[in-house]
Amino acid sequence: MRWYVVRRVVWAVVATFLILSITWGLLAITPNPAAEQMQFQAAASGGSAEAAQEAFEARRGLDRSAWDRYREYMTNMATLNWGWSQSRSQPVIDAIASALPYTAVYSVPTTILSILVGLSIGLYSATHQYTRTDYAATFLAFFGYAIPNFWFGIILLLVFGVQLGWFPVVFDSDLPFFSLGMARQLVLPVVVLVTGTIAGIMRYSRAEALEYVEAEFVKTAKSKGADGYRILTRHVLRPAAVPLMTILVGDILGIFLAASYLVEVVFGIPGLGQLSYNAIIAQDTSLVLGTTLIFTFISVIGNLIQDVAYTVLDPRIDYGDR
Amino acid sequence: MPSGNDRRSDWGTAGRRGRRDVLKLIGATGVAGLAGCSGNGSGGDGGSTDRSVQGTYVSASSVDAQSLNWLTIADATSGSYVTATLDGTWAIKPNREIFPLWADYSTDDGRVYEIELRENLEWGAGYGEMTAEDWVYMIKNVFQARPNWSGYPNADAWFRVNPDSGEREPLPVERTGTRTFEISLFEVDPSFPFKPVLWRQQCIPKGILEKYVPEQDTEGLQQDEELNTLAYTGNLGPYSYDEWERSARYTVTRNDDYYLQDVDGVPERFGETPYFDQQVVRVISEESTRLGALESGEVDSSGIPPDKATRFENLPNVNVNVTPQPYARIIVYNMRANGWEPFRSKAVRQALGFAVDKETIVGNVLRGYGQVAQTMQPKWSQWYDDSEVTEFGVGDRYGPERTRSALESALSGTEYAYDGERLVDGSGEQVALSIYYDSGQPTEGTIAEFVAQEFSENAGIDVRPEAVSSSTFQSNYVQTSTPEGTEPEWTAGVFNGGPRDVATSAKPWDMSINLQFNTYPFTPASSKGFFEERGGINYYGYYPEEDIASLYEQATATTEEERRTELFGEAFGLISEEQPFGFLAMPSSVSGYAENVRGYDEEFNTGWDSQTWYFA
Repeated sequence: MRWYVVRRVVWAVVATFLILSITWGLLAITPNPAAEQMQFQAAASGGSAEAAQEAFEARRGLDRSAWDRYREYMTNMATLNWGWSQSRSQPVIDAIASALPYTAVYSVPTTILSILVGLSIGLYSATHQYTRTDYAATFLAFFGYAIPNFWFGIILLLVFGVQLGWFPVVFDSDLPFFSLGMARQLVLPVVVLVTGTIAGIMRYSRAEALEYVEAEFVKTAKSKGADGYRILTRHVLRPAAVPLMTILVGDILGIFLAASYLVEVVFGIPGLGQLSYNAIIAQDTSLVLGTTLIFTFISVIGNLIQDVAYTVLDPRIDYGDR
Repeated sequence: MPSGNDRRSDWGTAGRRGRRDVLKLIGATGVAGLAGCSGNGSGGDGGSTDRSVQGTYVSASSVDAQSLNWLTIADATSGSYVTATLDGTWAIKPNREIFPLWADYSTDDGRVYEIELRENLEWGAGYGEMTAEDWVYMIKNVFQARPNWSGYPNADAWFRVNPDSGEREPLPVERTGTRTFEISLFEVDPSFPFKPVLWRQQCIPKGILEKYVPEQDTEGLQQDEELNTLAYTGNLGPYSYDEWERSARYTVTRNDDYYLQDVDGVPERFGETPYFDQQVVRVISEESTRLGALESGEVDSSGIPPDKATRFENLPNVNVNVTPQPYARIIVYNMRANGWEPFRSKAVRQALGFAVDKETIVGNVLRGYGQVAQTMQPKWSQWYDDSEVTEFGVGDRYGPERTRSALESALSGTEYAYDGERLVDGSGEQVALSIYYDSGQPTEGTIAEFVAQEFSENAGIDVRPEAVSSSTFQSNYVQTSTPEGTEPEWTAGVFNGGPRDVATSAKPWDMSINLQFNTYPFTPASSKGFFEERGGINYYGYYPEEDIASLYEQATATTEEERRTELFGEAFGLISEEQPFGFLAMPSSVSGYAENVRGYDEEFNTGWDSQTWYFA
């Protein structure tokens, strides 16, 4: 398995290089709206559009050849000198370091809650199939899945923040991470994300668990006198968890890569989603590539964990010959 | 201080909006933040007795700043962050009077300007007193450096065409004393003090700059810690930098040593300014959240879109403030070879001016937050002369009969004619035109739909609204050039690539409302380039029938106030008559303030005394 992991890591490095190169290339060929607007402003007020363009290029270091810029950037990435963020006037490393905790502070509880609540409801539904509570759980799952996070977040804010005043509307980044105030202002974003993610986990765990609820080895365990909890966790959940790992990793990555931006915009959380999106809008090359690297890293690690988890959960999966 | 104000009153004032405001032309942020709209009205101008230093003023911004190093920025939000800690030379009052901050000016002939700095200006971080040497060093080595190694976005303003050489040259600048320096223009320009060259112009200590100037170290300058943390601001602004948490919050704290507290000749209310212990800008990009924060009292001010303003007007804890702004919402007609050719005819454009009901746009789409536009000046501007302006789209100068009869006569002798209610071309097909609008602007979309409906009902023309992103519009429709391999007879840059018969945009279009144009009510001559065949912005290919540019030029060089007003009045009359654009409306800026905030007013450019705002 060690050789397998090493090969996976090497491949991850190659993939990262390719992703960074492609992203850099796309940014380099995309016209920058800010530059065009500056040119228009300059010409509109009687100045020179060309001079405005020249000033923009000087500020962004675009007056050098594309090859020079690419080479320098890749060297910097390899040497962990991730450069200077033009759109935030700070080192890229600092920008990422300041944003990551804000993403973690809501995504970690979201992930834990999603897994716990999703699995619990899914297993309960599997063992109480076609009951009212099963139907209620199914409704809840599809409601959470169907409702757009962005819209749901705004509605929750308007109702519980503006109208009822139970939660703050504006995210206060002054509050300590481990404080009641922080927990209070994270309730709504976590609720939004959890409702969006538990559906998948719950439905998958229900379906997977159903496969094992009537399995021979479960019946055997029952006849041996094993209690319901033990049967559920040891005999049903463990085999069911192997395929579930795929969706769990997918959901967690989803929170980081997609949902984070929506939730961060609605609730004003200065996390990685906003950082990455704003960097793309501003065509802040260093920051775009820096955040891309983080997302790539998270994806690669996530997939690695998924594969390793397979072997731990299911001894039948063997990487010895790979 | 020099008595510059007295002399100015002789030739009046004209100016254009500050460099940062100018940059709002596209994509306004709606920030009513640190250096945002302020004034002296609603809070009671003379009421210094009820002012006291207290509280934290929190404003909401839709976007964050890019940098606090003002040499490298060009966006309005960054500018407002810096202005809280650095005042600049002078401010302009709404009635177009200059209010000296760090400096005042004097001139005998409107050509040579002497700038005199106040005595009590102190840099922070041990850089000592601000002197003329700091200014001259910065202007010559950074603003006027060639190449523009620092990337200073406004460097172009420090160059002018020298009539002797015919070349664009740096304006001569010279130190004349410890606190005085002189700027010599090549030609008389009474509007000079009101242009971004000096209005609110800020400065950087020579001690910082000389670390980077010899090597022209762009990167070093951009990343300088003292510049990026405003460590050098000393007593030069009402607040001192406290903390900037990107994408979340920018905090400044009251500067107890603010220089304006100790100067003579300013209104009494400046004696204890500023009146907030702290100011905070909260970055809230989502509009609903921003407005929710204003409603719940978590922020003290925020911009409000017109369609939500009525709701806020009914809230007891929010006051809605409406200020005029200088941007005209216009229909731009494409008169180039890839547009509808009849737009080239003044009579056709005038006929189309009868087709759109401007009062409905102001009343219904803008919900009353705006004014009807008739020419390249708002009605409240002193340059707007009712007797010269020809009105279109209002009263009996609006409607189907008027439009059709005018259009029919304008198109006589061409292939176009009316077939019943429809305007048809030579092959009997109804004339179909496109109108482009910004896909990210719902209000703009509504205006485009309304224009399409009006053209259809009143002119019998089928108009198709097309949404397009602002960047796509810039590259595909605004930039014009001649086909590859063709050398144009002349070119005036990317936004006017040459004669309209050969230079066109990459894609065809007929009409657009994507860009709002600045009318420059303080320095109206700044819009000259819109109305010249070879103007820097003439992507629409307009060739004026009258010599509007020459009227602009005469007015620019005239120091006599009355004559200037007359000349500009005439120019704007001609523009309204020629209808180079379909003038529609001048939307207002709408902001909401917590009910205990005092100091703002409902005037154009009321941002000159924001340091005197206070909590009641």
